[in-house]
Amino acid sequence: MSSKSQAAQAGQALWAKMPKANAELFALTYGSLVTELVRDYEDPIEVNAQLDRIGYSIGVRCVDEFLSKADVAGMGLTTQCQNLRDTAEVVAKMGFKMFLGIQAEVGAFSQDQRCFSIYLQDNPLSTFVELPEDDPSGGEDLRRLKYSNLYCGVIRGALEQVNLKVDCNIVRDTLKGDELNEIRVELKEVLADGAGDDYKEE
Amino acid sequence: MSSPILFVIVGKNEPLFEAEIDTHTGTTGGNDLSTRQNYFVLHSALDLVEKSAWTTNSMYLRVVDKVNHQQVSTFLTAGNIKFMLLHGGKGEEVVRSFFNEVYGYYVKLSMNPFYKYDTPITSLAFENRVRAAARAYLC
Repeated sequence: MSSKSQAAQAGQALWAKMPKANAELFALTYGSLVTELVRDYEDPIEVNAQLDRIGYSIGVRCVDEFLSKADVAGMGLTTQCQNLRDTAEVVAKMGFKMFLGIQAEVGAFSQDQRCFSIYLQDNPLSTFVELPEDDPSGGEDLRRLKYSNLYCGVIRGALEQVNLKVDCNIVRDTLKGDELNEIRVELKEVLADGAGDDYKEE
Repeated sequence: MSSPILFVIVGKNEPLFEAEIDTHTGTTGGNDLSTRQNYFVLHSALDLVEKSAWTTNSMYLRVVDKVNHQQVSTFLTAGNIKFMLLHGGKGEEVVRSFFNEVYGYYVKLSMNPFYKYDTPITSLAFENRVRAAARAYLC
């Protein structure tokens, strides 16, 4: 479809303009962040929640950068996203490409068109990572840790700024043995525009 | 008579990894007595490792000790972790190649944020790779 390849091309062009960072430094920094969180909170469920919160702050800022860069370059956003399918394409083909340089695919749209999945073949955050084996003495079970939960927070934060309230979950993870990473995104509601009751005109 | 090869990674205070490789079957084996003897030989060579570390500025320390018909070769990593190999007279270049390959795997392991430096290595992937390298170079 032309819109799909348009998004992919636009993503490629945006990626070319972004300043780059060393991939190993990026992965190692994220790794230290996660291990510090594990040391502080110990419970992997709590760590997942913290990663989601950190991702949320990042997403809120990313979406502004994305929209401004994409507009200035005048590419692909001449028409607004008409439905969730377009939004999914933009997030995967342009968003992930622009910030991480990776190819993400979308798929598994639900019947009511309110859910979709993003597939990542390789995950730059989890280079070199191997989840430790189960601790037989009954310590924290790190198998319940969602290492890349940051992505869920980023998507949630970014889409909330454009009035789409979503829930994100990692359903498949290469660190746990699956062939690819899958993030399931569900639209909860479309928020109304506006600054809230306090600012209503008299 | 098969000469089992013993590969041990020693940290500051304790061994971090051990693998006994039987050259004929390529798997773990050997009876208990000879295994314990081998460990003893390896650990008694640790002092000699310290000594010969000062004589050269390369990481590969070649053969540091000879006991009966067995030799202990050592490789010192940049972080002062000792890779020690107890073998029955393998060529120096072969052992050097083996150590270099294991060093590569060790560096990848230490990039794992969940692995703490100088702690015992429990990763199955690492063990499999080391055994594969041993089969490739030393059998």
